Amino acid sequence: MPDVSVVVIVYNDADRLPTAVQSVLDQTLRDVEVVIVDDCSTDRSFEVAQQLAATHPERVRAFQLPENSGAGGEPRNAGIQHTKGRYVMFLDSDDVLEVNACRNMLEAAEDTGSDIVSGLCVRLHKDTRNQKRDEWYSWLYSTTRTIESVTELPDLFVWDTLSTNKCYRREFLIEHDLRFPKGMFYEDLMFIADAYLAAKRITLIPNQVYFWHVFERAAVKSVTNRRHEMTNYAHRLEIHRRIDALLAERGLSEMRLAKDVKFLKHDLVLHLRDLPFRDESYRREFAELSRDYLAGIAPEAYERVQPIQAICAYLLQQGDWDNLIPAVDTLINRDKVSSPLAEHDGRIYWCGGHFDDAFGRQVLDVTDIGYHEKPVNQLFLRNQLTSYRASGGSVTMAGRITNPLGVVPPDAGLKGVLEFSARRRSLQSFQFPVRTLRHEGDTVHWEATADLTAQLRPLGIVDTIWDVRLRLDVDGVRTTTRLTVADTPLAGGPPVRPRLTRMVADHLEPHASSKGHLAFRLVSESRNAERVQELITRGVRGTPGTLAKTGYRKAKALRKKVTSGDNKLRAYHEVFSRLPIKKRTVVFESHLGKQYSDSPRAIYEEMRRQGLDFEAIWSYAGSPKDFPKDVTLVKRWSLPYLKALAQAEFWVDNQSYPLKLTKRPETTYLQTWHGSALKNMGFDQPSLKAQTRQQQAEQQQSLDRFDRFLIRSEHDVHTLAKAFRLKERTLLRVGYPRNDALVRAREREAELGHRERGPLAAELGIPEDKTVLLYAPTFRKAGGRHGRFELPFDVERFADQFGDRFVLLVRSHYLNHVVLPPTVQGRVIDVSARHDVTPILALADGLITDYSSVMFDYALLDRPLVFFTYDYDEYVHEGRGTYFDLLEHAPGPVVRTEDEFHEAIKSFESQSLDYAKSRKEFVAKFGEYDRGDAARSIVDQFFAQWSR
Amino acid sequence: MTKPYAAEPRDIFFVSNSVNEMGGITSWSHQMARLFSERGHRVHVVGIVPPPEGRVHELADDLPFRTTTLYSEHPPSVRPVRGLKDRLNVAEQRRRAAREAGMQQQAAKMSALFRAAKPGGIVIVTQVWAMEWVALADTAGLTVIGMSHESFETCRKSSRFGRVKRFYADVDRMLTLTREDADRWIRQRMDNVGFMPNPLPFFPDVPSDRSRKCVVSIGRLHEEKGVDLLLEAWARVAPQHPDWTLRIYGSGEEAEALRKLAAELGVTSSVEWMGRTSDVPGALRESAVFALSSRGEGFPLAPMEAMATAVPCVAFDVAPGVHEIITDGEDGFLAPPGNITEFARHLDTLMSDKDLRDAMGEAARENIQRFSTDEIVARWESLFALVER
Repeated sequence: MPDVSVVVIVYNDADRLPTAVQSVLDQTLRDVEVVIVDDCSTDRSFEVAQQLAATHPERVRAFQLPENSGAGGEPRNAGIQHTKGRYVMFLDSDDVLEVNACRNMLEAAEDTGSDIVSGLCVRLHKDTRNQKRDEWYSWLYSTTRTIESVTELPDLFVWDTLSTNKCYRREFLIEHDLRFPKGMFYEDLMFIADAYLAAKRITLIPNQVYFWHVFERAAVKSVTNRRHEMTNYAHRLEIHRRIDALLAERGLSEMRLAKDVKFLKHDLVLHLRDLPFRDESYRREFAELSRDYLAGIAPEAYERVQPIQAICAYLLQQGDWDNLIPAVDTLINRDKVSSPLAEHDGRIYWCGGHFDDAFGRQVLDVTDIGYHEKPVNQLFLRNQLTSYRASGGSVTMAGRITNPLGVVPPDAGLKGVLEFSARRRSLQSFQFPVRTLRHEGDTVHWEATADLTAQLRPLGIVDTIWDVRLRLDVDGVRTTTRLTVADTPLAGGPPVRPRLTRMVADHLEPHASSKGHLAFRLVSESRNAERVQELITRGVRGTPGTLAKTGYRKAKALRKKVTSGDNKLRAYHEVFSRLPIKKRTVVFESHLGKQYSDSPRAIYEEMRRQGLDFEAIWSYAGSPKDFPKDVTLVKRWSLPYLKALAQAEFWVDNQSYPLKLTKRPETTYLQTWHGSALKNMGFDQPSLKAQTRQQQAEQQQSLDRFDRFLIRSEHDVHTLAKAFRLKERTLLRVGYPRNDALVRAREREAELGHRERGPLAAELGIPEDKTVLLYAPTFRKAGGRHGRFELPFDVERFADQFGDRFVLLVRSHYLNHVVLPPTVQGRVIDVSARHDVTPILALADGLITDYSSVMFDYALLDRPLVFFTYDYDEYVHEGRGTYFDLLEHAPGPVVRTEDEFHEAIKSFESQSLDYAKSRKEFVAKFGEYDRGDAARSIVDQFFAQWSR
Repeated sequence: MTKPYAAEPRDIFFVSNSVNEMGGITSWSHQMARLFSERGHRVHVVGIVPPPEGRVHELADDLPFRTTTLYSEHPPSVRPVRGLKDRLNVAEQRRRAAREAGMQQQAAKMSALFRAAKPGGIVIVTQVWAMEWVALADTAGLTVIGMSHESFETCRKSSRFGRVKRFYADVDRMLTLTREDADRWIRQRMDNVGFMPNPLPFFPDVPSDRSRKCVVSIGRLHEEKGVDLLLEAWARVAPQHPDWTLRIYGSGEEAEALRKLAAELGVTSSVEWMGRTSDVPGALRESAVFALSSRGEGFPLAPMEAMATAVPCVAFDVAPGVHEIITDGEDGFLAPPGNITEFARHLDTLMSDKDLRDAMGEAARENIQRFSTDEIVARWESLFALVER
């Protein structure tokens, strides 16, 4: 008895069949047999199969179905009947097995006694240059694991529905009479569902076992590529229904839910994406088919998919076509805002019209996505083409741009250009003015004429595809849109004259790209041009073309290499560092260039105040906005930045300049640092302790660049200075320059007998009579895509409870961000985007934090603090550990739950007195050197000689 | 489990960098060679070069297997060619040519040994450096097994990573120490990878009764063994347990620095420096808790020996091999790498609670037997069978 039988099915694929069979014969496991089943091909497939059988009589047998069955199921069913091996696998004639597949499968099966062993399937795109590979649900196959029932891993059941990357115990197939459904597409889905549910034990292995060859450009597209066909969709739904029945029969509701989620995420999306490209009757039929099935989907499933997927499914079911088609645009183009959105009761909804349906409100609520907080330049707006007319050499177009929540104000100054650019980057682009721009309901209507024949001069051959963008200027702020073709008929393209003669092409032909956007293709209409095209194609595919292309790619790779990090480092060390030091230059940086803030800012401002004669260079990352105008700005990691650092006399920073930059001995590095430590830092962190000595030495090198290190208490000496292994002589016991303002604020308050509010209060629109609270939590690894930080309390409930007395400012760590619903407007304000926290601290009448070092600074103001440490145990034990027990030293109440938190806010005033003594002790322990003159004392010590 | 293969005598070759270099590979290969010999296989241990000066492991006279060392002295080492400058370096080029000629010559010697083997012979390459010679030799008719005796992570950080991928790509089976390491290699698209744990070096008749208040650590005094971390952790628990001592067995270049560290931490009086020992079973029998403070490991033998002696371990979980051996909270404790606070907490737990020590110690002695020599040899036999099918 062979160890494994591989059933190879074939239909009109005589050429590739031998390769598939050979991949079985070449297996490292020797005792493997091949059973070929031909689905009554009309080509030589069966002949080839018989030849293979004749060549390998011991190992290959060939069979043929009496008539064509139309799908892969029947041949496989027949194949199973002929197998003799203890295990059975399936292989299609255009694919191959990995050479160790059978051995790995067999070993796993015998080790575990599993009925099914499944391995990684890899799709190889055979038409791409490097055979692009994508791994089929690889997350299921990251480790070897065995499950006693598929219910332990619903993801396997719903996602990996292939029958081919698996090895089945033959007895198991026979015993449970497992067969593929007859004459249906998606036959795998049903078979595998049956098999998974019947299996007593399933083992997954991370090995690649099956290479699925994908031929995108094949003339006859295979089943899965022809998904726009309605029968296809009908078959899919039918299979889903049968599987649902199977699950219902067994009472597997969890699995059903997982399957519903997959249907919304995957199956439905596949078909929805085609919808904008289909006609009315198709859409109607599609909706008809879907509606019934969607009605059976659990509402919980909608919560587990991406908002836009849930929205599309809901609108489809409701038959709301006006909103669905734009929503599909967002489904295809993830970041696009394709709906005007609607505000209702302080929440933001994808669209109006469904507010009376509670479920609809839940699905359409997009408040958390935060569209309402984004300025127009950060929104990718839908721009629907409404008319297209080509006449002579020009194209006249009109369209409407979605205006969500009136982000483009009615009185805004509007300007626009249409930009045609070659899809290949770094080639040319051409611009045409937009003639008309006006508001029309919740859209902005535009019209433009582009005289393409006269003004657009393509090169030809290298720039065959032209994309069109409309760049809209709203009061000087720019946003870019793409033109969605939708149902607008595109007829006629203007003639053009490529620079490489009209032999190569003579017209621009409009079409909709795969994402639904308007684009033009260079085509030739004259017969002559066709012949030239053919010549060119031959040239491009031939030796000279290949050489040219390789050359081009090499040049591109070289350019990339020259501007790579390694070469920049080399430029820094070998070129810039040999230039002379520029006297009286200081490079400032705060939080890796993300902010103009903190002690570097305080020192810089003190230097300016004293009128010193020096060149200030500030490093920025991201946007240079909000940095001072009268300094030299350099982008972090740019060549000017590296040059400035190499030649500077002083570095002033609060975190770290790029670790690999060596500091010249002539340069003085003032490390101000950015906060006293609660949690373990530097070499006190477990991750660094675990490092080898050599790795530690590399870290130490970057720390040894510090010439002076600012200290605000002896606590810093015992913690930071020790953890960074700093020498005593580098320590500068002067306090933090950024805190001078806080110390002065406190002194002034004592002097005046009352608290003064600076200009910030008015800027934020905070009424006189409200008490200001600041919530400033520490950094957390956020799960979301954009590092979104979930507030640990219900912000709407907070606003309702305390909004009449308090205004809550929320400041997330600079690497996190929060989204607030409009309901809390005026009562809760996000101040995360402000560079400098110090004025915010000075404004706040109370601070709520957890473990952020802001507590040490805020304490200087002698105002109430609340510690909301909802994840204390996790933070302290599972994290990197702390230097002291916060519970013991906290100068304010420590609360763990939202209710306790509310209690603490209620008794806010009385706490001010209760904790007065412990606040004093806290300041004495952690801020003894913060005396309000840090900036001046540093400037006196290092820069006094630069006075004019 | 696969059925144990009915053992028929085979020719089995172990090929390592050296036959008798001090260290884990030599102990392991000699133990395996002895076990296979006992089962009637014809074993031959081949070393490429003699061990470096001062690293010679004295072998017994009555080895039940043959040994051969190819080179009489270490061949010239060369760097890989990089750039034009290297290509024009005549002296270096000459050295390279000499080395390559030498390699061919030595590989031919190995081919002669291999050709004498009967069908069904096995070549086990224990280190990837040695594989460079095996790759040149004629292994027709033999099964070649390549081994990586370290964790995936350790290998990935070293120059061996690229060489493993290159030289083990076409062996019949590559073996790692644990399933987890194997899975990680497989994800590097090495689809011929399996795993094979190390066997238990010994199983004493008399276990420790864990009544002597002594925590023990055994290993070379090298930074990789992390004795500095152990001392830091010890400094946190020692004051609460004045009647306990920490015994550190082993010698090495760090000895002086570690003594200094102990003094700085104020634990000199509770730490005993025992030097190298030839009686590991005895040292373990006298202890109540074993501490494994390494920064990197593969499939460490010391905690296996401790567990066989019924001594529970506290270890940094630095490799899959460590949590393969120790089940956290059941027969020992694991701390995240470098987290001395947790390490100290675990030591404290075991030191404070004799009942827990006893329960975990007994569990350890029971559990560690899944790596008994019989179990491991049976695994090898079924592997030999698998690659023949």
